[in-house]
Amino acid sequence: MKSASKLLVLFFVFAFSVSIIMSEAFASHLEDTATSSIEKAENALISAYQAVLETERVGTNVAALLTRLNEAGESLVKAQVAFRLRDFDEAVRSADLCYEVGEDVKRQAEELLLVAYSSSVVGNWLTVTGSLVSVIAIVFGSFWGWRVFKRRYIRRVLKKKPEVAKDESR
Amino acid sequence: MNLDEYRTVFVAGSLVLMLIAATPTVSLIMVVSSGGGERFSELWLLGPNHLAEDYPFNVSVNELYRVFAGVGNHLGGSSYYLVYAKFRNQTQPLPDVMASEPSSLPTLYEFRFFVADGETWESLLTFAFQNVSLQGNSVFVSNVSINDVTFSVNSYSMWDSENQGFYYQLFFELWLYDITSRSFQYHNRFVGIWLNMTSS
Repeated sequence: MKSASKLLVLFFVFAFSVSIIMSEAFASHLEDTATSSIEKAENALISAYQAVLETERVGTNVAALLTRLNEAGESLVKAQVAFRLRDFDEAVRSADLCYEVGEDVKRQAEELLLVAYSSSVVGNWLTVTGSLVSVIAIVFGSFWGWRVFKRRYIRRVLKKKPEVAKDESR
Repeated sequence: MNLDEYRTVFVAGSLVLMLIAATPTVSLIMVVSSGGGERFSELWLLGPNHLAEDYPFNVSVNELYRVFAGVGNHLGGSSYYLVYAKFRNQTQPLPDVMASEPSSLPTLYEFRFFVADGETWESLLTFAFQNVSLQGNSVFVSNVSINDVTFSVNSYSMWDSENQGFYYQLFFELWLYDITSRSFQYHNRFVGIWLNMTSS
């Protein structure tokens, strides 16, 4: 009877220790998951921001993309605050939301960049070519115009009848 | 006019026309290479009425206070900012303006946001104090809530006999994401408000 109660106590001690170890291991696992989710979300947000900057550089209006990036930023803040308060479930949830929005913004920015880049390349090419052709046309036109004008001018001068002026000095 | 004078007029006219024809290309080059103007960011704090007045000063436990934090971007392109909210007593460090170093105090709350060039960002910030106790010649603040999130600060403030109060400061640091180093850098700007803990 005595040994049975001893066994029971030992069992409870063992069960209690195991539950503590398990809960700590579980908490540690949750913390690791939250850390990696936040890191992934941060990287997604940075990549999306870089894609938006590239798109902005070619002259595209990125206001809508920035609004969405701010949504992602708010989710990341929620995740960071939840992590500091050791609410790892909320941290993971918010970080995942940030990641999804970040990835979506990045995709949209890249699509816009492609469209803007091709139209800007064509536009720039047309501008430069147009200027070049115009300058060449002006140069040749000026030479031709000058030659014509000069010929007419000389002809007109030659047609003029010389008048003999009376020398009154004598 | 003789022939030489006509030639001068012709050359000048042609040059003017060439300049006009080249203007679109020249402007294209100037837009690509332009980066003029002073580049900076603004950071501000407004009171509860959205004005630079009536800032919370005499504060007490479990009361809710409101301020507005704002940032203006004049950096020539969209920027990614971080604002850290920190809390200190009179002896704890502020950011070092000369060394461009942030305060070493832990961050309580943070804002992350993107602002287009020439645009501003603004956010309401509410704060309150919990578990404040008077201990002899000092006040002890255990918790600060910012935007409904409670943070443990455990901060003492000694009685300031010169200014007659127990003073704390809630301040905000501005950080900017640097594409080159792929990290946030302290942007050497901070604003804060002094708070006198009046009762517990």
